[in-house]
Amino acid sequence: MQALTPYGFVAPVTVLILILTFIPIAIVIGYSTLDNVIMTPESKFVGLSNYFTILTDGTFYVAARNSFVFTVGSVGAHFVLGITFASLLNSRLLPGFVKTIFRAIFILPWLFTVAIIAILWRMLLNPNGVINYFLVSSGVVDVGVEWLSSRGTALLAVTFINIWAGYPFFMVTLLAGLQGISRDLYEAASIDGAKPWQQFRHITLPQLRPIIISMVILDMIWTSQQFALIWLTTGGGPFDATEMLPTYTYKLAFSNYEFGLASASAVIILLLSMVLAFFYIRHQKARD
Amino acid sequence: MAKTRRAIDRASRVWVIVGLALGATFAGFPVVWMISSSFKKNSEIFAYPPSLLTDGFSADAYLSILTDPEKLRFFANSYLVALSVTALTLVVAVLAAYAFSRYEFAGRKSLNLIILSVQAVPPITLLIPFFSLIVTLRLYNTYQGLILTYMVFTLPYAIIMMTAYFNTLSKELDEAAKIDGANPLKILTRVILPISVPAMVSVGTYTFMIAWNEYLFALTLTRTTDMRTVPIGIQLLMGQMSYEWNEMMAMSVLGAIPILLLFLFFQRYFIGGLTAGGIKN
Amino acid sequence: MKKHSLKARRGLGLLATAALVLTAAGCAPAAEDITETATDTGDGTTTQAEVVLEFAQWWEPELPDGSFRALMDEFESQNPGIKVELLSGPYSTTKEQLFAGAASGTMADVVGLDGAWVNDFAKTGSLADMTKLMEATSYDQGQLASQIQIQGSTYMIPIVNFVYPLYTNDDLLASAGVTSPPTNRTEFRAAAKAVSGAGVHGWALPLSLEAPNGIQNDVMSWVWASGGSMLKDGQPDVTNSDVSDAVEFIKNIWDDGSIAPGSFTMKEQDKLEEFTNGRAAMIVSSLSHINVIRDSNPELNFSVSAMPAVDGYTGKRGIPYASWGIGVAENSEHKAEAWKLISFLMSESTNAKLSSIANAFPGNTTASPDFVQGDELFGEAFEIYQSGFPANEFVGLPVAEQLMRLFDEQFQLYLDDDISLNDMLKVAQESWVDKF
Repeated sequence: MQALTPYGFVAPVTVLILILTFIPIAIVIGYSTLDNVIMTPESKFVGLSNYFTILTDGTFYVAARNSFVFTVGSVGAHFVLGITFASLLNSRLLPGFVKTIFRAIFILPWLFTVAIIAILWRMLLNPNGVINYFLVSSGVVDVGVEWLSSRGTALLAVTFINIWAGYPFFMVTLLAGLQGISRDLYEAASIDGAKPWQQFRHITLPQLRPIIISMVILDMIWTSQQFALIWLTTGGGPFDATEMLPTYTYKLAFSNYEFGLASASAVIILLLSMVLAFFYIRHQKARD
Repeated sequence: MAKTRRAIDRASRVWVIVGLALGATFAGFPVVWMISSSFKKNSEIFAYPPSLLTDGFSADAYLSILTDPEKLRFFANSYLVALSVTALTLVVAVLAAYAFSRYEFAGRKSLNLIILSVQAVPPITLLIPFFSLIVTLRLYNTYQGLILTYMVFTLPYAIIMMTAYFNTLSKELDEAAKIDGANPLKILTRVILPISVPAMVSVGTYTFMIAWNEYLFALTLTRTTDMRTVPIGIQLLMGQMSYEWNEMMAMSVLGAIPILLLFLFFQRYFIGGLTAGGIKN
Repeated sequence: MKKHSLKARRGLGLLATAALVLTAAGCAPAAEDITETATDTGDGTTTQAEVVLEFAQWWEPELPDGSFRALMDEFESQNPGIKVELLSGPYSTTKEQLFAGAASGTMADVVGLDGAWVNDFAKTGSLADMTKLMEATSYDQGQLASQIQIQGSTYMIPIVNFVYPLYTNDDLLASAGVTSPPTNRTEFRAAAKAVSGAGVHGWALPLSLEAPNGIQNDVMSWVWASGGSMLKDGQPDVTNSDVSDAVEFIKNIWDDGSIAPGSFTMKEQDKLEEFTNGRAAMIVSSLSHINVIRDSNPELNFSVSAMPAVDGYTGKRGIPYASWGIGVAENSEHKAEAWKLISFLMSESTNAKLSSIANAFPGNTTASPDFVQGDELFGEAFEIYQSGFPANEFVGLPVAEQLMRLFDEQFQLYLDDDISLNDMLKVAQESWVDKF
């Protein structure tokens, strides 16, 4: 009876995931071995040839590279901003209502649907937009920079937008995590003469470690799948400057109507992400 | 000694405020611009040089949304879906996370791996098979269909974060309760949950945002206008050939206000001491 | 401690209650809704067997509030026993929604289509052959301005057409000494160059890769306006001199610095704002924008004219257009009723009404929309339309949108000086041939 208890606890999620994600994923894996799937009623089994096509396509590697830069840049900045803001908001030096106001301001980017975030930043970063206006009138640049539409800056610009849109997730989670750290630890450390930075390194970070690792892995998975933001700001361009795995996959599916190839690409992304998931499990194991 | 301590505090307070102000500009300026745009006329939104307040200042965009029953219905749908998803996700996730954190059982690791990796398939490629499944399950154009779909998106995060959080709580708490003869469910609800409120609020916030802002599946899994949610309402203002810029902005501002209030209401659980006290016991 | 956990528990209780209430409240009406759509007759009194036609389109939100529904009500009153349920979505994802519907056999009975997708939908077998429907009712096909056919069968009928004339900001042109809108390429380039400077550019060219229809409306239109073609015997032919001259012509304007910045991510909607705000002196844009511009900038003094052609060209000018097309789902159980709806929409009076509310030109050759009589600019546009011919070679091509995107990518490289004109066209040609 006691041995069954944990299964009772995990039963709801297991059922839900089995039905609602296993079946569609299995279908996608099936699609990935078919030719002309969806487009014709009788599609042929082609084995791994779709995978071969994807893996020999130069654009796939460009997309993978851009995805990597975008993901690492976003997650790194999410973490730095998240922990900085969370620590500042957790400061004992400020009265409660001040912190409340700042907390509200800091989660603002989280409140909007991605289509609006894309539109808003297209407006802000427009060659005639407000950001260029500030840069030009303060003499930093002579003419407005085409942030999103020049190949040199587009990847940077979409990464920046994604950083803005995503850091509150880290911040809120870490803020919750900070509440779990006992004040006694800090008090003992400060009696020992530890400076704030040392306290941060030797108490805060180790205490938050499990949360940070989980979040970094999750955020990497999510960021590497960010589609709408990129699609709605640059469409993967100019040329291939912001082409990423999800936009690449999307174009295969809904622009080329090669659903078999798109599925193969999706399965490859799934496998790549599973590598990340393995790291997470390994880390869990190490903890046990 | 006491004096220097106060001096240091004052100096650090200045730095904290400088840091917060910089951060607030970064976080808030785009939103200020959004609010400003929502009060402009369409033509003024792209004027150069840009300005925060314009001659054409008007609340027409807000009026046209708030007087349109169809759009108000979008808001009601979004609340209904997002709140249900949040509540159900928390219940399901807390149960699973408790098992992952406190029990060693066969299949635990593989289940963990599965939960983490199922979300690694780009949703856009799942669209067609998922849609067919929802049609087959007769959940097409229902709230249940949307709610269950969003739970699939939110559960992995919720479970992983709750597990991580439970892991930071001392197991001695459970042991003590077990000795008192409490059953596992009782330990969870009476001992663990009361001190897990900050984590649940942060997971709940996340869940709510995901459910509130999701667009693609909301559109695909619903069919009739009376089932649509706010993100679709916003997208409907983006026409084939021209956009209603100010109404789009106004609608997202309107959508954001209640979430912000909800967050402000729950954020008091972030305030320090609550869980620290629990752990000390 | 005690007080805190009490507070915490209240928070939890609140959530749990919310969950219960919401799921209970949320599920019940939803279930009702489904049965309602199946059996409800609208007024709730009659119980006779009735056909409910689902009509999926993106037009209702684009048109003035309630105006499209009013047309449907008119249809219902003329055809007792048929109800129309409008399923309206945003244009930007209409295609994905249709594919999901096609793949699972839940496509609406009547669907709004774009010429860029029709070929691919027809291939999936999810669209019904309308030639058969027309023959079955002995429909007079002569009144249709056009039909989009694939291998001899009609899959889409354009209901209304949005033509794309040249818009010019006459005050900006005048201040640069240009007294009338340019009529040929040399004049256009000179005018664009003359007005450029101090925050103003001669032309706005949208080349976003997300919505690459700029290639159709703003690039290939130059080819069609001079009677050229990007196809030969239905196969890609973008290396011909018509296309190559037009592309080089645009590159020259680009190098002059006369094109507004931000081209590579600019969309049709952005181009409009550049023009409305007086930053771009000329755009090639949909006729429906006349009223949008008037609404948002009443002071703007602008006119519409035919696309400039190559110098000395005297033939008929092709005018780019975009259509709202309509089709019938193959899985529809009410094809006859669906056809009734389409012939209603195509009928002389309804088609004229729809054209008027959409500010578009009718798909019925005999229909005459009232807005062209009372309005100088629309009247002008109608004249341009009638003296030229509608030209859009992308309509009905396979993966048309991807063709535009592939061309766009190479075109961006060419504008950025990363590839020569010949290489650009060669790569584009090869990638197109691949798709045919």
